[in-house]
Amino acid sequence: MSTLFPKSANRLPLQIAIFLVILAGVVSAGVTYYMTPAYTRVGYAPVQPVPFSHRIHAGELGLDCRYCHNFVERSGFANIPTAQTCMNCHNQIKTQSPLLAVVRESAKTGQPIPWVRIHQVPDFVYFNHAAHINRGVSCVECHGRIDQMDVVQHVKPLSMGFCLNCHRNPAPVIRPLNEVTNLGWTNPGGPAAQLRQGEKFVHDWKIKPPLSCSGCHR
Amino acid sequence: MKRVVQHPEPSELSGPRYWRSLGELTQSPGFKAQLEREFPEGASSIDGVDRRHFLKIMAASFALGGLGLSGCRRPELHILPFGKSVENAIPGLPLYYASAMPIRGYALPILAETHQGRPTKIEGNPTYAAYGGASTLLAQASLLELYDPDRATAHLKDGAPVDPTAVAALVDSLGGAHEATKGAGLVFLADRSSSPTRARLVKSLRKRFPKSVWAEYEPVRDEAPVEAALACFGRPVKPLYRFAKAKRIVSLDSDFLGTEADNLAHTRDFSQGRRVLKPTDEMNRLYVAESGFTVTGAMADHRLRLASSHILAFAAALAVEVTGNHDFEPLTRGLEVKPEWIKACAADLLEHRGTSLVVAGSHQPAQVHAIAYAINAFLGNIQRTIDFAAIEAPDAASIQDVAKAIQSGGVKTLVILNGNPVYNAPVELEFASLLKKVPQVVRYGYYVDETSVHSHIHLAATHYLEAWGDARTIDGTIVPIQPMIMPLFNGLTEVEVLARLAGESVTDPYTQVFNTVTPLMGGDSQRAIEKFLHDGLAEGTGYSLVDVNLDASSMGRLFRKAVKFEALSETNLEIRFIADYKVDDGRFTNNGWLQECPDPMTRLAWDNAILISPKMGKWLGVAPKAAPLQVARVEAGNEIAGKENAPIAELMLGGRKIRGPIHIQPGLSDYTVVLPLGYGRTRSGRIGNGSGFSAYAIRTSEGAAYAVGGRLTLTGEHVLLADAQEHWSMEGRDLIREANYQEYRKHPDYVKDIGLEAETPPVYGRDGDKYTLQQKVTEIPRGNSLYKTPEFTGPDQWGMSIDLNVCTGCNACVVACQSENNIPIVGRDQVIRGREMHWIRIDRYFSDGKADAAAFGGPGNRELPEDPQASLQPVACQQCELAPCEMVCPVAATVHDSEGLNVMAYNRCIGTRYCANNCPYKVRRFNYFDWNQRELNDLYMGPLGPEGMPELLQMAKNPEVTVRMRGVMEKCTYCVQRIENGKIQWKAKMAQAGHPGDVVPPDGFIKTACQQACPAGAIVFGNILDTESEVAKAKAREQDYALLGYLNTRPRTTYLGKLRNPNPKMPDYRSLPLSRIEYENKSGESRLKKEEAHES
Repeated sequence: MSTLFPKSANRLPLQIAIFLVILAGVVSAGVTYYMTPAYTRVGYAPVQPVPFSHRIHAGELGLDCRYCHNFVERSGFANIPTAQTCMNCHNQIKTQSPLLAVVRESAKTGQPIPWVRIHQVPDFVYFNHAAHINRGVSCVECHGRIDQMDVVQHVKPLSMGFCLNCHRNPAPVIRPLNEVTNLGWTNPGGPAAQLRQGEKFVHDWKIKPPLSCSGCHR
Repeated sequence: MKRVVQHPEPSELSGPRYWRSLGELTQSPGFKAQLEREFPEGASSIDGVDRRHFLKIMAASFALGGLGLSGCRRPELHILPFGKSVENAIPGLPLYYASAMPIRGYALPILAETHQGRPTKIEGNPTYAAYGGASTLLAQASLLELYDPDRATAHLKDGAPVDPTAVAALVDSLGGAHEATKGAGLVFLADRSSSPTRARLVKSLRKRFPKSVWAEYEPVRDEAPVEAALACFGRPVKPLYRFAKAKRIVSLDSDFLGTEADNLAHTRDFSQGRRVLKPTDEMNRLYVAESGFTVTGAMADHRLRLASSHILAFAAALAVEVTGNHDFEPLTRGLEVKPEWIKACAADLLEHRGTSLVVAGSHQPAQVHAIAYAINAFLGNIQRTIDFAAIEAPDAASIQDVAKAIQSGGVKTLVILNGNPVYNAPVELEFASLLKKVPQVVRYGYYVDETSVHSHIHLAATHYLEAWGDARTIDGTIVPIQPMIMPLFNGLTEVEVLARLAGESVTDPYTQVFNTVTPLMGGDSQRAIEKFLHDGLAEGTGYSLVDVNLDASSMGRLFRKAVKFEALSETNLEIRFIADYKVDDGRFTNNGWLQECPDPMTRLAWDNAILISPKMGKWLGVAPKAAPLQVARVEAGNEIAGKENAPIAELMLGGRKIRGPIHIQPGLSDYTVVLPLGYGRTRSGRIGNGSGFSAYAIRTSEGAAYAVGGRLTLTGEHVLLADAQEHWSMEGRDLIREANYQEYRKHPDYVKDIGLEAETPPVYGRDGDKYTLQQKVTEIPRGNSLYKTPEFTGPDQWGMSIDLNVCTGCNACVVACQSENNIPIVGRDQVIRGREMHWIRIDRYFSDGKADAAAFGGPGNRELPEDPQASLQPVACQQCELAPCEMVCPVAATVHDSEGLNVMAYNRCIGTRYCANNCPYKVRRFNYFDWNQRELNDLYMGPLGPEGMPELLQMAKNPEVTVRMRGVMEKCTYCVQRIENGKIQWKAKMAQAGHPGDVVPPDGFIKTACQQACPAGAIVFGNILDTESEVAKAKAREQDYALLGYLNTRPRTTYLGKLRNPNPKMPDYRSLPLSRIEYENKSGESRLKKEEAHES
């Protein structure tokens, strides 16, 4: 019987075990990387019906976010502006641009422009913009430097872990309320000063980001 | 070692004696089997599909799933902003409109919540002070009618759809055809309406067609008849009752808290007089004489079971006692009521001159109302507890006039506006066959119903949420009806139809309403209409209150016709027709929310039944037998594990007969049979068709309210009824704690003597009193427990208090919760299995004071109780601080948050149902099926059945709440979406105002849906940490107790004990509520008893 299995077969159980351990490690590493929003969502930059550039409007021209997303401080949704909002300026400037034909049409007929949705949390998550904007969390924390993007893309994972990172330790991101929409703002005193100031805000404003289910799931 | 919690047996220690059904009282084997279960039998098994079959189906569906494997990428979604900016519309925030729900001769002022242009929730309009923002279950549920897939979706001519653009011309031509003849042969039959615009258009209709007939018909009367007022006071007036000022109230068969008009104000005012905050407060006393068992009767301190046809004699006897005027004496002949009852009641009224009130039921004849007015006048109650408002005398013809006109062949065109006469007209008119004699029948209605089938033209009506209109509240205040949404199916508004028929030059309904109401308000008309629409009412437009004098001689007119007192017996029954608590007269039959809501007294859902007294049940041989007999017989017929297998009977009346299931309702007058109207519709829709039987089939003009001469015979058949009264039963423990007012004044903390907290360890029992309320909700004494307890660190600690003393069981909270929280309906079949999904239920308990009930260890009742007291208790998730459900969840899907909420994460739930198993309150609900995605008839088809919710129904959903899927558990969340949104809105508001540190919303800023709907103010919700909040004050009261508090679950919802205020001089006076009599007798430990012994 000894000829049936070579001696090297004695190592086989160990080899199988090692292989399984490695396989499990690779699979979990793969799943953690490739199957979470950090991979599946980050970088998503669909083509929009109107080639609107946030870099030009919010960056170079310096429009405040709230000029267009005007209900963001009051509502859970950061509303997409109506075509009429666009036409406030564009009835004066670039009135004949073919790139704006869709906008002019929409303002005239009232038919909505089908913007492609980029940032999205699952249906059972009730994210609220007003709750964050009014408590000193800047747009940049979730959306990145929109003011530098020609085409908006998804830059943060917006996964539950991402949310909880801040909710567990809000001080590093809480900034003065008047700097919330200033995407390029950093604390002039550096990170240490930001932490000190953030902690002060957390204390003074009684910021207690919810860590329980009811904060976001209903 | 595993610690076994010994629930106290419901015998010696558990105090009050309640039972919820005859099955429980007699401890029938079926009921006992039911008790042992977490869910009623069958609730957790698949019927009709065996395991093999199930696997086959599943395999097939997996295979199909594999074929369509294309969805690896997230779909591309679009955001569609408005093209043009819309005023006031903020995406993501609800918008509220003031409007009104018209019903019969009045309207309920409402606020409609809209999300992106679709109404999703109805609330009461708080600007209307009389209702204070409360609403009825009908108003709550009327939202679902808007999105009813069975509503009329097209205008029809001879059954074929008419092009929506051609309808206006069609209506115009209807009017034009009769212009030459001045309307000869043109008859209108309409429902009642309070709309000033409609009244104006009717005038111009009469001007255009002077020879036409305008008739109005309502099958159910819910306001006092004008004839009585005309006879008594010589002018058309209507009574407005001021229950808040009344200390002694006598109801003559009046369900003023339930089905009568203005029940919202009645409930609100009545609860004001009922609520006692401290022992020195006075409490009102309610005497009720009634034939059925109504929610008003359930609140009574003294309840007299009396046939409706004998109420006149009783009223006369009371009048004789009160006024000393013996003119009424002849009317009392034959009455079999203890004279002491009437004497003591009359004496009590006489002691409260000016603060008492006698109310007669609207269905009662004018004589009874006249006597009630006379008693009130004698007692000096007029203009104190009862006001009279001047109204216009009704001048419409009746449906009988219409029938006569059709018989004589003089009707060429009959226009039926709303209503449904083919279904609900008096049966002797044979309305369906009458319609065949009319050359042209035009129907304007919301559904293509029984009447539409007999019509040549059907005009699709709009829902009140899609239409411009106006109406008057009960006191005459003009309220707007404004549209929230464009008519979904091109319906026409009533105003437009009438304006076109009347040949008005302007037919636009908004302009019509504008033209009616602005002259009444005066001032700048644009300003006036804006304020009108904003406030939702026009201040000062109510009927004027007038001083009236009783004219005894003209009142005598009413009594000229001799009234015969007819004795009743088993073979000469009185049949009483009542408007159903849920579907009313049949207008809401196709409303799933209402159909599924159990009736407050019978607890029946989806059906009506022939309600009979226990005495009749015994005579017929269908009542549960006394327990020992039953055990020997092992009853199979009447009851199957908590399901009511009702015998079907035939009811004969005046040569006509109907068939229906029998339900024994304790507390009914012995020989009165109660028939709820509104069921048995044949052309109602998917929900309403086939539910119950139609009581209209034996209802004549003469006996519209009640008729004598009925006879019941059994058919030997049985049918299962969806009876929720044994569902979610908690085994008769000390759940409701009652005392009499007299005892309460001596011992305001009586609730602590009942129940077991006195015996529990110091953690939360009586010794807990050394902690303040605020300490109790933030610090949990661990009590040597190994479990880590939740930390309550939030700035708000939510809690609720429910005042059992004022809850009338009206069910408004149940439907409000259903609407707010996207709770699905499950259908009759599933309710029978105990799978109803309501997050809040109202338990109805009976107690009869008998010591020998089998449920409580006695030998069993020898007699079926005929005269029980009823107690009602709303139960939702108690939000335990130490929640048993959380300890058993294997996936931590239900956990605590920092503000004391026991939260449910649906996306974590894997559906083990351990939590429901461990919940002592039975408040958790499991999604056995994908109720939202599947048709109720095809639930058992599994994946082979059709899937998807009709788009119309999707629109009714609240976007702030997850729509749950199959396989997850759900329960009351304290409306967590309202809490979170309220907090966020408050913080945003404060941050914008420069106070970002002010994070705690003020008391009353956040209201739960049930609290907001409750007309009695029984439900109070808020932050317990705020010592000034209403809820903290309520919980600090001495009557505060926790349900099953001895389990140390530490519920955040607590109850305030119930009080009754019986009159010691009455012959039926008992010094204790019936539920406690046996306990006190047995244990002899109560302080009250000891003191009484001491005193004597």
